[in-house]
Amino acid sequence: MKKKITLLVSAALFCLSTFTLADEITLYSHRHYEYDKVLFKKFSDETGIKVNVVKAGADELIERLKAEGDNSEADLLMTVDAGRLQRAKAAGLLQPVESKLLSERIPAAYRDSEGSWFGVSMRARILAYAKDRVELGELKSYEDLADPKWRGRIVVRSSSNIYNQSLMASIIAEHGVDDARVWAQAVRKNMARPPQGSDRDQIRAVAAGLADVAIVNTYYVGLLINSSEPKDQTVGKGTGIFFPNQSDRGTHVNVSGVGVTKASKNSEAAIRFIEFLVSDEAQAGFPQVSHEYPIVEGAPWSGLLDSWGEFKTDSLELGRLGELNAAAVTVFNEAGWE
Amino acid sequence: MVAELNKYLRRELDVWSLPTVLLGFLLLVPLFTVAIGLGDTGPKWDHLKSTVLSGYVFNTLLLVILVTTLATLFAVPAAWVISVFEFPGHRVFAWVLILPLAIPTYVSAFVYFQFTEAAIPLLVKIRNVWGIEVFQCAEIALRYGLLTILMASVLYPYIYISVRASFSQQRQRLIEAAHTLGHGLWSVFFSVALPLARPALVGGGSLVVMEVINDYGAVHFFGVPTLTEGIFRTWFGLGDLSSALRLAGLIMLVVFTILFFERAERGRARYADPGHRSKTRTLRKLSGLQGALAAGLCLIPLTLGFLFPTGQLVIWAYRSWGKVFRTEFAMHLANSFMLAIVAALVLTFIALLFSYSVKLHPVRWLKSVTAISALGYSAPGAVVAVGVMVVIGSLDRMIASVGDGAFMLSGSLLVIGFAYCVRFLAVSLQPVNGGMSRICGSLDEASRSLGRGKLATLWHINIPLLRGTLVAAFTLVFVDILKELPLTMILRPANFETMATTAFSLAKEGRIHECAVPSLILLAAGGLGLVTIHRLILTPQR
Repeated sequence: MKKKITLLVSAALFCLSTFTLADEITLYSHRHYEYDKVLFKKFSDETGIKVNVVKAGADELIERLKAEGDNSEADLLMTVDAGRLQRAKAAGLLQPVESKLLSERIPAAYRDSEGSWFGVSMRARILAYAKDRVELGELKSYEDLADPKWRGRIVVRSSSNIYNQSLMASIIAEHGVDDARVWAQAVRKNMARPPQGSDRDQIRAVAAGLADVAIVNTYYVGLLINSSEPKDQTVGKGTGIFFPNQSDRGTHVNVSGVGVTKASKNSEAAIRFIEFLVSDEAQAGFPQVSHEYPIVEGAPWSGLLDSWGEFKTDSLELGRLGELNAAAVTVFNEAGWE
Repeated sequence: MVAELNKYLRRELDVWSLPTVLLGFLLLVPLFTVAIGLGDTGPKWDHLKSTVLSGYVFNTLLLVILVTTLATLFAVPAAWVISVFEFPGHRVFAWVLILPLAIPTYVSAFVYFQFTEAAIPLLVKIRNVWGIEVFQCAEIALRYGLLTILMASVLYPYIYISVRASFSQQRQRLIEAAHTLGHGLWSVFFSVALPLARPALVGGGSLVVMEVINDYGAVHFFGVPTLTEGIFRTWFGLGDLSSALRLAGLIMLVVFTILFFERAERGRARYADPGHRSKTRTLRKLSGLQGALAAGLCLIPLTLGFLFPTGQLVIWAYRSWGKVFRTEFAMHLANSFMLAIVAALVLTFIALLFSYSVKLHPVRWLKSVTAISALGYSAPGAVVAVGVMVVIGSLDRMIASVGDGAFMLSGSLLVIGFAYCVRFLAVSLQPVNGGMSRICGSLDEASRSLGRGKLATLWHINIPLLRGTLVAAFTLVFVDILKELPLTMILRPANFETMATTAFSLAKEGRIHECAVPSLILLAAGGLGLVTIHRLILTPQR
């Protein structure tokens, strides 16, 4: 009898728990990484909360959030840079969130001070170089790329790309608009070819001998090394990695981040999702699968990230990147950096 | 007075015009929402003008001229030899030449982009021998050249289809004329056939121009910033919506000018087919060197636009098949088909309605309404998407204020369908208008004087005569929607994938080889549709 009652109670509890937890959240995401699917599934398995995803460009998703207003079904907005989260915050699309766990685990520079968005993984914009044509000590900083010694030796993608816009924003934050413009003009002059293609293509161009240095995000090198294409593996392995500005402000970093929308009807589950993303389990996957750095200090790196070594990061508050984004694009236009 | 007003209204209005006007305005609302900001000068307009604007305009015009010229050179000779000669492979060429339409430009761009990489050793050699200036010129020439070839080779079928239809209709009389006058067929080509095919050429050409102007994927990939890229950069990067809209307005102005000239061109001469069609199949036989030459004319565009990209995709797909192929693909394909078929049906119906109501009541304002409501094709997809989102967003707010907020349009398939209608009406309206103008007005008059109503005349006279055209319009829209990306991406419901979004996501992750599988599925589906239209309408009557 006792056994039966226990069974009944536990069955009832089970039903009840699934009932309260059988929940859904909708995520508007710019991220196109395979790892995300794994993460979402794990989260659903653990919590019973289903994750619905709309994948599209961050700018377009922000427009969709604006148009949908309070009726939006979105609970979360996820982007691959802090700047656009800041822009979404400025447009009043995100709500401040209080979570002790999140403020403890995520360093202050990588989340919004009011809790509107949180970085969950990190990447650095570094210099990938040809080991045989660039001498040790020749590479120093982003600023140094303006030196005439680099004439015809640099490749980088279009300035329409958010990673370049954020890098430029960090340079404006450090030196001001005028110096940033002079820098951009000089770097443009030093380019081997007009900006084109993706970060991967820049690394390939260096490997093929078209240029000596490429400005790229760290995880692209990881993706090439771990590619299923033997050719890409050779390219990835043959490329040198340099973290610029180690002797001053540190290397420019950016985050993939997420914020709870103002329209969210299920913010509790949404916060739980963000907390899951910074859990030990989720954090450990970022270096392994998508070759990003974990945001939580002390979370394990992969062998590859370890091999690149520790580095000093620019301590600029990432929200500034969003505030300076328009200035960055203006500077690029003026400098003729396509 | 009343009688006069009555007379005036009768002249200017017609019952059939009503649904056309209503629908036309419905389709225009999103564009109007976007265009409303056109008047103001954005804060960054002067900045744009003094920095990047001229570059955008230059790149856009250059690309338009290069691609349209090359596409014409690909399409017209091939259409001519197919229409009047019989040569080895003639029958196969006739239909495979339209297949490049099934390949999305962005997919072809992935395939062609590898050449820029393969050319690096050569470019490095050039730099070592002739210095950096020559190298940089060569690099730019290579990129623009490749971009031109790849775009022209997937877009030429727009011209090929319309020009060939024109040639086929004239064929019998042309051949007779050539015989009578003792002229060769090539001389007839230049002196008679080509001038007669000019409206078809301009019609197909204007579709090519619009596709080039609105392309975002390929030009971005190849580092050729055009006005379309400028729009997004100004809007999102600079945060200046009004200046971005001005750029969009600039594009629409260009397209509007083109359409205006096309209309003027059409208006100058009567192209109505008096009704009799060539029943006999009198193609002149070419063999030997001449036959090989004719086959070559067809083989060049076919190879560049279809055989090469498809071959490359097959190789990539073979390598990555096991890794990518998932059962979800069947679901994604079903989504693609469902969307494309329903939207294409609706669009064909709208085109028929518009075209017939103008025919019944050929007043200028009505013509303008139909022409303007098809303008969505001239705006970049993402701009249309934003216009649609804004309209649907306010509709949802209205619905929520009366209901309980449970029902929402946003994020439903209805919205995507509506957006497709806004965007692709031109694609169905162009051929239907063309077909309608070829039906002699006297047929309608005869039917009406025999006591048939307008609807019955449409049903018994126009639709049967338009059957081929309607199928063509349906299929063109179907294939375009199958490939469509920006609207679907941004407006879709959660967890909703089509073949195009699947292919794009994989490519975006840099898994180009893996994106070959969904690309091929997309291509096969589109190709199948195209073959169907060919069977139905383009095959010469026997």
